[in-house]
Amino acid sequence: MKKTFWYPIVFMSLLTAIFTFVLAFLEVSTADKVAENQRYDLQTKILYVFDIPVEDTSVDAVDRLFSDKITEDGDEFIYKEGDSIEGYAFPVAGSGLWGGIVGYVGISEDYSTLLGLTFITQSETPGLGGRIEEEEFLSQFRNLDVADATEGNYVVYNPSPGGNVDAIAGATLTSKSVANFMNVDIHKFITERKGE
Amino acid sequence: MAKQSSKEIFSLGVWSDNPVFRQLIGICSALAVTNSLTNSLIMGLGLTFVTALSSFTISAIRQFTPKHIRMMVQVLIIAAYVIIVDIFLKAYYPEFSKTLGAYVGLIITNCIIMGRAEAFAQKNKPWPSFLDGIANGIGYSAVLLFIAFFRELMGFGTLFGFQILGDWWTSWTIMIMPPSAFFLLAIVIWITHNIQHRNEKSEVAKS
Repeated sequence: MKKTFWYPIVFMSLLTAIFTFVLAFLEVSTADKVAENQRYDLQTKILYVFDIPVEDTSVDAVDRLFSDKITEDGDEFIYKEGDSIEGYAFPVAGSGLWGGIVGYVGISEDYSTLLGLTFITQSETPGLGGRIEEEEFLSQFRNLDVADATEGNYVVYNPSPGGNVDAIAGATLTSKSVANFMNVDIHKFITERKGE
Repeated sequence: MAKQSSKEIFSLGVWSDNPVFRQLIGICSALAVTNSLTNSLIMGLGLTFVTALSSFTISAIRQFTPKHIRMMVQVLIIAAYVIIVDIFLKAYYPEFSKTLGAYVGLIITNCIIMGRAEAFAQKNKPWPSFLDGIANGIGYSAVLLFIAFFRELMGFGTLFGFQILGDWWTSWTIMIMPPSAFFLLAIVIWITHNIQHRNEKSEVAKS
């Protein structure tokens, strides 16, 4: 029977159907959990960008805190304390050494100060470029004054004139690329907003 | 093929026929994730799971599988188990899913799984095939963990993320970069080859 023309076709189709069914079932039954993980991850990072302290790190508490202070507006986030707007977070993206880097930058309501920076996707070398995700690098962007930035140079590495941030030693390309796409995206955001 | 006892299956998979340092297969992932012990452990567990279950399944349906489409069948089964691992990590261990990223998906292309399916599961009953998968998975994981131990310790000064070496230790950047995996794997092959070679010689001398 195995030698007939139809047997392999039927066999393969049946096997494919069975495995597709099992995988589809697993995918659907974990979809909520996966979506929840992703939402939690994004929420904690946006809260971090705005420097909002998270005391209770459970999923529900973070969700409550997030919806309490932050409203989504397209791909941007608006941070409100009561009724007054404190700042905005918007995505910045570019290519790193190995792959794409996507992050969020928080900026104060008057566009004069960067509130914070975080990365949600990056695939840089662990221990080198990958250190852009470490607090030591990210904390440099906390309350960084950019009011006097000229020609769209908001982030400038030391020791260049006007430098305000330290690059990561040994990860020149990643650092450079991060500064470049941040400057482009921040400039675009500010000019668009101010032009409104 | 002569029937092998479980003990033989394990000694072959883990030591004398070890997939990484003896058969030199599955090396790409062995090089990619070994700069951290945690990642290596997760990768090893994932591969062991996939190899064992895919060998089991392939062996269970081997009598119904037409010979000329067996590769398609094997790839389908392997891919399905890899996706299960991927979904599992995404749902319950999002942190590892993020750091391992593409490597989990690449388990599909790991030659060890296909190798075991062709070399063992096609000709043996499901249970020995399952054990063979476990044995080869352990053999693979052991090499990964051995290499990762040195890379993480010398590259970051940590083990499983815990700081072991103090401030006096200057981290070796090369240990985190891909080339060090080649050096270390070569050293592992050198050492194990010497040991196995010596054992073979002494056996010949005895007989």
